[in-house]
Amino acid sequence: MPFDTGKPEMTAEEFRLLRDFVYGHCGILVRDDMKFVMQRRLWPRLEALGLADFSAYYRYLRFDAQRRAELETAIEALTTHETYFFREPRQLKAFSEEVLPQLERRNARTKRLRIWSAGCSSGEEAYTVAMLLKDSGRFEGWDVEVHGTDISRRVLVAARAGEYGPSALRATPPDKIARYFIHVGPNRVRVRDDVRAWVTFGHHNLQEPDSGQIGSRMDVVFCRNVMIYFDTPARQRVLRLIYDKLVPGGYLLLGHSENLINLSADFELVHLRSDLVYRKPEGGL
Amino acid sequence: MSEEGRNAEEARYRALLELDPSSAGARETLVAGLHDESWRVRRAAAEGLTRVPEREVVVERLISVLGERDETGARNAAAESLAGMGLAAVEPLVRLLGHADPDQRKFAADILGQLKLAEAEEALVKAMLEDVDLNVRVAAAEALGHVGGKVAARALERTLHDPEPLLQLSALESLALLRHPPPLPELVRLLGNPMLKRSAYRVLGLIPQVAATELVCRGLGAESRSTREAALVALGTQAGLSEPSQRTEMDAAVRLALKRLPEAVGWVASALESDDLELRAGALVAAAALREPQLAPLVAEVAQEERLVPEVMRTLAHFGPETGRELLASMDRLSFPAREVAGLVLVEMVDATYVPELVQMLDWGELDLKAVAVQGLGRTRSLEAVEPLAQLLDHPELAGPAVRALVTLAGSFPKQVAQALESALERGAEPVVLSALVRVGGTAMLPLVRRTAREGSVALRATAVEVLAAVEPSGGLELARVALEDESSRVRAAAVRVLGQVGDARMSGLLKRALADEALEVRLAALEAVGECGAVEQVAELESLVRHEDGAIAFRAVRSLARLGSLRDEVLRSAVSHGDHEVVKAALLAGAASAEGVSLAVGLLGHANWDVRAAAARILGASGGRECLPATRAALAAETDALARRALVDAVERLSGR
Repeated sequence: MPFDTGKPEMTAEEFRLLRDFVYGHCGILVRDDMKFVMQRRLWPRLEALGLADFSAYYRYLRFDAQRRAELETAIEALTTHETYFFREPRQLKAFSEEVLPQLERRNARTKRLRIWSAGCSSGEEAYTVAMLLKDSGRFEGWDVEVHGTDISRRVLVAARAGEYGPSALRATPPDKIARYFIHVGPNRVRVRDDVRAWVTFGHHNLQEPDSGQIGSRMDVVFCRNVMIYFDTPARQRVLRLIYDKLVPGGYLLLGHSENLINLSADFELVHLRSDLVYRKPEGGL
Repeated sequence: MSEEGRNAEEARYRALLELDPSSAGARETLVAGLHDESWRVRRAAAEGLTRVPEREVVVERLISVLGERDETGARNAAAESLAGMGLAAVEPLVRLLGHADPDQRKFAADILGQLKLAEAEEALVKAMLEDVDLNVRVAAAEALGHVGGKVAARALERTLHDPEPLLQLSALESLALLRHPPPLPELVRLLGNPMLKRSAYRVLGLIPQVAATELVCRGLGAESRSTREAALVALGTQAGLSEPSQRTEMDAAVRLALKRLPEAVGWVASALESDDLELRAGALVAAAALREPQLAPLVAEVAQEERLVPEVMRTLAHFGPETGRELLASMDRLSFPAREVAGLVLVEMVDATYVPELVQMLDWGELDLKAVAVQGLGRTRSLEAVEPLAQLLDHPELAGPAVRALVTLAGSFPKQVAQALESALERGAEPVVLSALVRVGGTAMLPLVRRTAREGSVALRATAVEVLAAVEPSGGLELARVALEDESSRVRAAAVRVLGQVGDARMSGLLKRALADEALEVRLAALEAVGECGAVEQVAELESLVRHEDGAIAFRAVRSLARLGSLRDEVLRSAVSHGDHEVVKAALLAGAASAEGVSLAVGLLGHANWDVRAAAARILGASGGRECLPATRAALAAETDALARRALVDAVERLSGR
């Protein structure tokens, strides 16, 4: 039973053209097996713009006067991904129990802490980090900033709003819900203001180092399940950017299925009790 | 490991990474690295050796490491390195297949399998059939699954009759990898063997025939979980290989089998949650046959694996209307990919009874859920849905979907929908509301459109100009003339579009002004309009713009010239040398019917962009003569891109028939 009757199918050629164009713009690689995903996510755009097929959409992206805005919309549609609070607990345990005490010692003089959640989507990771900082009890009175960035402006709106439904909370322990959220509706919670006060959000294309406002050097960068969107050269560019933005000795935390093999020799692998993490060498510039 | 030990390991690792593989002594340093106690260091050494010049020497050195029986780590690292050596390693490894030590021969077979090169096929077949050591024969059989080839497939089939079960198993697994199933009766025999059963089911899945499905269904009824799972995996593979007509028969057979198994819902649910992708694919087929609404959320969650999304949607579409409610109830707990597919399916299932739940869903917060609710409300055919949708018309992100939903509802309630749209417009809603209002209310809405064109916001004025022209061309044209003087470029661009769509060649003067407008948006619209309304007086202007460096301008200039029938050969030649490949393709298309165009297409078979080469091939297939055949064949022989090759193959076929 064909399901989506009446909607234009994306031809192999249209897929290649759109895929290459998106890649050229932001380094995001849509894998061959994701043609259907691309088609599904872009159907609403064809409908909204009144375009007959994906060739017309491709030409719109290339040549229309509104092309820049539409390209952003297309990227947003293609990069929307799954995220939830307290994802990958083993790594978060390592962060809380081993990385944070070290950062407390190291930054004791400045009492300043900067953490970057790169590819933060709708903000769950950035808020999770802020909650872990609160949990640790080590940084009250410090100048703390957890900075979330994403290429999608739409998800940033949601991130700033800080309101979530049950799906986002599916891995959140009840005590954390009680401590860090307030109920704003039957199925909605909002992150408490004291947590939100430590978190900021901004737009950033990881393939364009100057596109965002990440002025400060970071103590920790969370870049989890973001590089899956990129091919090797694009991943290497992102890693170079992260390296430059980290303080010497700063940590890079990747998703549990990601590693730097064949990507970068700039970082050192650190064996923590709960997990393996990467670190910019102390002598790094 | 102590902190000191870790630091020392890190230092050795970094030293190898930073080592120049072409420097003197690098080879032996890396070989020493193969013997390091740390796997990271060994891995770095193995990778480094693949980049050392004089591959033949390196390969021989690595093969000598394979012979160091007490150095397991080093041997494995050497094997890994050899697997990265490509063709240079094949011959020495084939020689190693003749080594006196069976352990060495087994290593050779394993590595040849990893190299995946057809050059090793013959030697591996010989090893599988003739080696005196069973382990070597098994390793060769396994390697052939990666190396492939017709000789290998036939030999593997014959090996299914070997008395050694381990060898049979390896042969069967390799046939599965090669997607080369043996004849069905052969498999029936193997399905009875407990050791081979699982692999036999896997291969059975490669046969998309109902007879094979019926055999698989027997496996679904097995008591052993591993057999059931093997049968499910086979189902998933079959589904992926079946034609739509075969799928219907296949689904019927599976349904019949599962109806007899009351506990099936439980184990299908657990298979849907498995980590095994192939098992989940099979569980989807079983779930589609069971059609138990309680499975729907689990089915939707399988969408987290992108490759299975089409099958997830197909499966959910098989479930009955009750599934919609099950999905709706779990929507806010589903992961994002699951919500995405569940939403698409849900909107196909709703009816008037869903309105309260969908309205409630509008309060859930997440935009994607709201969008599903909006689309669903439009399909309920319920008057109750009009008001909640109308309230969304001021919402910038939901106004578009809400308007589309209301237009759908207008099929049943035109008056109520028109009222809702009109009142939203009075509140200054989005332009899309104006277009919908005219679509629903017809010409009775024209006074409102005219008023909006005079008094509305920029976005509304622009829309009003186009909307009026669509309903009343002469009035629209008149309004467009006035709108050409608007201070907003958006309104002027809309006016220009109207001139193109409903005007004629007499608009040339107006379009000339628009072509010189300060705003790119207006100039682009004018370039399109010139072609649309036949303003041939602007040909010279268009010809000069064909060379414009901005592809958007050049592309439109080419298309308009083609529409006007005024694309001269000289201009065509200039267009196909444009730096933007879309301009080149537009020119190719425009010149398709001319001798010059065909001649240019031949030249463009060597263009740097694959899509231009494919377009040139298509032009030749459609318009070229037999004289183009040699060039097209030559291009095909040199073509490496799959899509361009496909176009060239088609062109060669068509040209050969002329």
